[in-house]
Amino acid sequence: MDSCLQRTLRVFAVAQCLSLVMCYGATAQQTRTLILGAYTVPKEAYQREVIPAFQKYWELKTGETVKFQESYIASGAQARAIIDGFEADIAALSLEGDVARIAEAGLITHNWKAGDTKGMVTRSVVVIGFRPGNPKNLRGWEDLTRPGVVVLYPNPRTSGGAMWCVNAIYGAGLKTTQAQTGTPDSAYAEDLLYRIQKNVKVMDKSGRESVTTFEMGTGDAIVTYENEVLLRQLEGRDFPFVIPRATILIENPIAVIDRNVDKHGTRVVVEAFVEFCLTEEAQRSFAEFGLRPVLTAVFQEFESKFPQPELLFDISYLGGWSGAFETIYGRNGVWTRILSRIATGK
Amino acid sequence: MQRRPTHVILTGDAVLKMTVFSYVGFLVILPILVISFQAFGLGLGHLWTEIFEPQAFHALRLTITCAFAMAVINAVTGTLMAWVLVRYSFPGKAVVNALIDLPFALPTNVTGLMLVVVYGPMSLLGKYLNTHGIEVIYAQPGIILALLFVTFPFVVRSVQPVLMGLDKDIEEAAATLGARKFLTFRKVILPHLLPSILTGVALAFSRALGEFGSVMVVAGNIPMKTQVAPVFIYGEIESYNPHGALAVSLVLLVCSLAILMLLHRLQNWGRDRGT
Repeated sequence: MDSCLQRTLRVFAVAQCLSLVMCYGATAQQTRTLILGAYTVPKEAYQREVIPAFQKYWELKTGETVKFQESYIASGAQARAIIDGFEADIAALSLEGDVARIAEAGLITHNWKAGDTKGMVTRSVVVIGFRPGNPKNLRGWEDLTRPGVVVLYPNPRTSGGAMWCVNAIYGAGLKTTQAQTGTPDSAYAEDLLYRIQKNVKVMDKSGRESVTTFEMGTGDAIVTYENEVLLRQLEGRDFPFVIPRATILIENPIAVIDRNVDKHGTRVVVEAFVEFCLTEEAQRSFAEFGLRPVLTAVFQEFESKFPQPELLFDISYLGGWSGAFETIYGRNGVWTRILSRIATGK
Repeated sequence: MQRRPTHVILTGDAVLKMTVFSYVGFLVILPILVISFQAFGLGLGHLWTEIFEPQAFHALRLTITCAFAMAVINAVTGTLMAWVLVRYSFPGKAVVNALIDLPFALPTNVTGLMLVVVYGPMSLLGKYLNTHGIEVIYAQPGIILALLFVTFPFVVRSVQPVLMGLDKDIEEAAATLGARKFLTFRKVILPHLLPSILTGVALAFSRALGEFGSVMVVAGNIPMKTQVAPVFIYGEIESYNPHGALAVSLVLLVCSLAILMLLHRLQNWGRDRGT
């Protein structure tokens, strides 16, 4: 028995020494792995530009090689996956609400909205895409209500990102009437959404799928994000769009997930990555791929690429996300009301 | 230490039975029980409001109607297909026979995409149908078409073996007694086939209730118009309303269970009739 124990101990000691030596040897060339849990939209920007640039930057600075495991799925699904145990170090999602949910679950313990950009990393606006040559002569939201105009956007129940589209239309109704009469008219806003929704033919489960359906030939107009269309244009496709006079400013958050970085011991490098995403270099990369930069200096460089609509508003105009959930998506909210109105034909 | 002899001596049969039961228990029964408990845990009142919430109710109704339409069509076409495959010989029969199972092998969203390519607004067929005012894709016919495709093998494959085992003598006897072909089929063959047709239809029906991938692509998914129950459930999960999802799932589960129990009855009935 004794000799057995001694032998085990000896083996253990040797193994310890070996691993120490290996650790020492490896400090010069350590590899770290970061797990990025993102939504689908910024995939190209991260994969082709931001991540490679950060890897280079970090290696120059510390000599460490950083590897990335990346997951790109719908924003809400990603948030749920992280809450249910997918150990992402960084969450880069479509809406603030999804990051807030991860924080509520106790996985983010710092104030992730404390930074200069309030936790946001990119922006975009909701636009109307149409067929080459604009055969239906679409200029703004009211044009989408004309009979015979077939409209596409994803379902806000299945795609968090699609809420941006519905928010844009409803908010535009408020904003336009406010510009005309001084007070926002919620009845008009609801009616505008109702008349557009009546022309909606297909509601896919994500923004990207909606664009695919449009490209497969269905619909005259698609309500989608500016960056999604700019990306298609970058790929050489003829995909014209118009920024409506009144539309919503989309803001996408990024956050370090405290519980996972502490578990993986990757806090320093993860925080460096999030900071890197807010450098001019990374912001320029996002801009190349059609996402509006959050840094004013970089935004000014790209001013001609990203025209500012006259009546731009952000989510706070709708009372923040909690307000929007209540007035639009609640059980007796605008969205539910217009759907029953359409179904009953009143 | 001395081992006490075990009192229960496990026979091979018992071990096999236990293995199978625990396998089925963990694989099938446990997840279903968890879902049911969670759903009933909401309380009957809450469950009721979730099910009769207009969007949920409409989605359920659409799913059941489309599945029913599919079942009726499948009963006829599946039986005819089996008949042709068993009773006739033609070049390429082996290939056709093999193709029948293909719908099971294809990922269902591929099925959906395929249907959009063939019948969608950009296809020649789709354009032709559109000019005649017929909408297939992004309307109810598209849903039924997708369901027909994904459940196609069920009826064919359950009728085929019964038909093969059917004694031709009775048909000939009927013929010599002067019965016409159709009458022979209706009075002599159909009663023998009926249990297997219904088996296939019941399987197809319960499969169709839960179909998601293909329908998601072809339906259009407009709430209260073309949104089926599984797509509604998906939406409720995505928008953090597990209660709505659970309630509607429970209805689908109960429907399937009822259908499958009915199926079991039918099989017994079929056995009693000696097929």
